[in-house]
Amino acid sequence: MLLPLLLRQAAACRAAPKMLLHHPAEHHFLRRRLPPRLHAQSRNRKSKSGQQQQDEWRTRNKTALTYIAAAGVGMIGLSYAAVPLYRLYCQASGLGGTAVAGHDVDQVETMTPVKERIIKVTFNADRHASMQWNFKPQQTEIFVVPGETALAFYRAKNPTDKPIIGISTYNVVPFEAGQYFNKIQCFCFEEQRLNPHEEVDMPVFFYIDPEFDEDPRMARVDTITLSYTFFEAKEGQKLPLPGYSYN
Amino acid sequence: MSTAMNFGSKSFTPRPPEKGAFPLDHFGECKAFKEKFMKCLRDNNFDNSMCRLQSKDYLECRMDHQLMAKEPLSKLGFRDLMDPPPNQSDGDSKP
Repeated sequence: MLLPLLLRQAAACRAAPKMLLHHPAEHHFLRRRLPPRLHAQSRNRKSKSGQQQQDEWRTRNKTALTYIAAAGVGMIGLSYAAVPLYRLYCQASGLGGTAVAGHDVDQVETMTPVKERIIKVTFNADRHASMQWNFKPQQTEIFVVPGETALAFYRAKNPTDKPIIGISTYNVVPFEAGQYFNKIQCFCFEEQRLNPHEEVDMPVFFYIDPEFDEDPRMARVDTITLSYTFFEAKEGQKLPLPGYSYN
Repeated sequence: MSTAMNFGSKSFTPRPPEKGAFPLDHFGECKAFKEKFMKCLRDNNFDNSMCRLQSKDYLECRMDHQLMAKEPLSKLGFRDLMDPPPNQSDGDSKP
């Protein structure tokens, strides 16, 4: 590294003798200046490289900061986007009991029954302790196949002397099978009024989704239990219903 | 009903019926059809596939007496019962 310097010095020295002849003192100066010159030059180089280094660091810092800032903004944006994305995922996979998307009326028209898979649907009827109706299913069990619509009946009787309004809800066991159990029409979630000593038949029209047969979790499920529970509804009382609007 | 006290366990969320609720048959207008259907079920060991004709009749009765919204029966899953016999053979060939 110092070679070119030395060469330059040598050239200067060669040029110097001319000056020496004229200015021996200057030669002396030249010589004396050598070390300071070396120092000066090296200092210049060091400061130059130092400045370069500082500039380099500065640009590097700037790019790093820009990247970090971009990542931060990206994270915030992702957290906002996660809400609808997660909702879509839940609908597609049916996790957490959310209604599986794609349940439309046209499915009933176009589905074909899976005749090999016979499922026993048992019926259960319950009522609240203070509810005075007699409520029971008219068949204990029925054998259906997925993709085929089925009809079942319950019977309710009001043995008292005053009209009673009942409202019911239902439950399907096992829980995972509940997402495949679709009711086309039933008597639940709406107030049903029975006059004194009146007895009515209450039908449930349902079907099991054909995709039930393809779900590996349902491979060992052969029995589904449908359970209805009746509660007494007071006049003018409006119950919060699951996504079902009152007219 | 499940007591959803344990967090994270699968609980059941009831869904409203697709076509709403059946109006109550206070006057027993379709009781005869219901009795036919129940008899068919008892005779066939509660096999629903054998009694689809009777269930179709019951729903038709309901529609005739304004106890159910009128709808083409194919929309209720009775497409195979509505088709004329030559088409029904095509329906059977479907998996």
